[in-house]
Amino acid sequence: MTAARKVIRALAVPIGLLFAVIVQLTIVNRAPLPGGGAPDLVLLVVAALAVTIGPMTGMLAGFAGGLALDVAPPGGHLTGEYALVFCLVGYGCGRIMAAVEDATGERPAVTALTVMALGAAAGEVGKAALGMMVSDPSVTGPAIKHVLPGAILYDLVLTPFVLWVVAAAVRRPAPERAPEPVFSQTQRLAGAMRAASVGAVPGLRLTGSTPPPVPLPVRSEPRLRLGATRSPALSRTIAASSLAPPPVAGGRAGRLNFTSAGRGNSLGGAASAVRVPQGLSGKSPGKGWLRAERPAGAAAPRFRSPGRGWLRAERPAGAAAPRFKSPGKGWLRPAKPMPVARRKSPGRGWLRPARPIRSNWYTRSPSGRWLRHRKKPWRGRKQRLMQLVGGRR
Amino acid sequence: MYGARRTRAVLIVLLIVAVALITLDFRDGGSSRAHTVGARLFGPMERLAGDAASPFVGFYHAAAGDDSAEIAALQKQNDQLRAELAQNQVSKADQAQLGSLGKLAGQHGYKVVTASVIAVGGGYADTVTIDAGSRDGIAPDETVLNGDGLVGTVTATTGTTATVQLATDASATVGVRTTDTNQTGALTGTGQTMTAPQDMRVTLFSSTAVLQPGETLVTFGSVGGRPYVPGVPVGQVVSVTSQPGTLTQSALVQPFVDFTGLGVVGVVTSR
Repeated sequence: MTAARKVIRALAVPIGLLFAVIVQLTIVNRAPLPGGGAPDLVLLVVAALAVTIGPMTGMLAGFAGGLALDVAPPGGHLTGEYALVFCLVGYGCGRIMAAVEDATGERPAVTALTVMALGAAAGEVGKAALGMMVSDPSVTGPAIKHVLPGAILYDLVLTPFVLWVVAAAVRRPAPERAPEPVFSQTQRLAGAMRAASVGAVPGLRLTGSTPPPVPLPVRSEPRLRLGATRSPALSRTIAASSLAPPPVAGGRAGRLNFTSAGRGNSLGGAASAVRVPQGLSGKSPGKGWLRAERPAGAAAPRFRSPGRGWLRAERPAGAAAPRFKSPGKGWLRPAKPMPVARRKSPGRGWLRPARPIRSNWYTRSPSGRWLRHRKKPWRGRKQRLMQLVGGRR
Repeated sequence: MYGARRTRAVLIVLLIVAVALITLDFRDGGSSRAHTVGARLFGPMERLAGDAASPFVGFYHAAAGDDSAEIAALQKQNDQLRAELAQNQVSKADQAQLGSLGKLAGQHGYKVVTASVIAVGGGYADTVTIDAGSRDGIAPDETVLNGDGLVGTVTATTGTTATVQLATDASATVGVRTTDTNQTGALTGTGQTMTAPQDMRVTLFSSTAVLQPGETLVTFGSVGGRPYVPGVPVGQVVSVTSQPGTLTQSALVQPFVDFTGLGVVGVVTSR
């Protein structure tokens, strides 16, 4: 399944390019359009690929598509002309888009459209300019004046449609992963409210959170809990926000009684973190006071954590890859590829210092040497290479 | 950073390859092996796509008042008749001259292979691909005509497709003569005809000749009927312009053929 999808994805770009070339030659160029020029579908597809995927794909697609237009039968220009121009257009569009993403961290649709339109216009101008440079007899001043404005105009008109189609086609099917949560003030508030409302007021919950499936049992026996022994699900959600410990998650919120903490001197400095129910305040804590009495897995708050992606539109997160007929929200940005598993190193001593296999818990922590090597991998190699060739060092 | 550097390296390699290809093709005058390979690769696909696309293009022309799908058969017939007529239109004096020279000795009639336009080169070049090739007996430098008049000449062939350079291409030059006064001249395209019906330009060879608007031009003919057979109507003189500094007259010519709506064409195979 995934292999087939990979093959399909790998073939999507060349097949799309071939389709564009054939359609351009057999339909678009034959259509007697008013106004002089005709749109260049291949150029548009190349620009859209560059904007959507990146400069490398853009320039490879540009070279291939341009070369196909050059050598396909009725081509009336030299081989390599369009390959050169489209290659540059693909690289430029992808590079600009990458620079924008580096600077702002996002790829807005308007920017993509603008970059693509600029690329298409530059491509049309580049075709004409290169035709004049190689002294193509067909490319004369009057001919350019006649063809170029219409061609650019048709390209601009077609830009959004081509971008939409290409973005839909190359969209990666992997589900989007939620980014590292960065909580704003209101979101912290929302987190606290979530924590407070789960179980306490079953009818009231924040949008997007799932209701507790089972009503919580009324706890009769008192227990001591440290602030840090919240339910793991909650702590995962909240710890990232460095939130102060919320009220007891689940069940009735116990009242805090800090005055009684002084009497139980065994609590010591941890007193402020320990919630002591009022009824127990006089007695010494029983055994197991330091840890939750129940195993953490069966902890009281039996609500399922909202899972990743709870901040964004609800979608079954890991469930079958969303099959979009049309690109949905965020269609312009293909989801980031899954992190590739690091390649196994080819073996110790091959172009890198041999390092012993360390297996106990202590030596497993990265050594300073390993860290230095990670940061500047070529320093040692360079020295050894210099030694090898008899250099100075 | 590493990715950006690699991208740049690949870009430089691709640009060098492209410039090398341009140079090679420039050296071979635009007919390097790459075009042959490309024609072999893309020709069959274009034939398929052209057949599939013909209803759409036919729809275009039907919207423009030209029901080309229905009259395709009639057009083929018309091509055949036009070719015969073109031969008959060669004047008797010419026939006597040429006959005496033996140029037309073996030619008793033109054989016309009909074909459909399946692809059009965009941009600035006026070239089309037709769906008949060397297997149908088509060879380079053969005349292509239409029910209306001269279309162009074949520049390259594969087994099943052929590339036609239209008479309106800026690099095409056709020898023509006027039907009334038998003045000869050279007709060149202005390279803007595939996108809109534009004019061609004729320059007379003789400095004393006078052109009149409304005169009809036919092809003068070439040795062996290549690349242009004689007597094929080309166009009509629209306006005469005399450029300063030149001895001879030149004129703008309106072609008989509608180059934007080319459908069925005939190739004169000289066998």
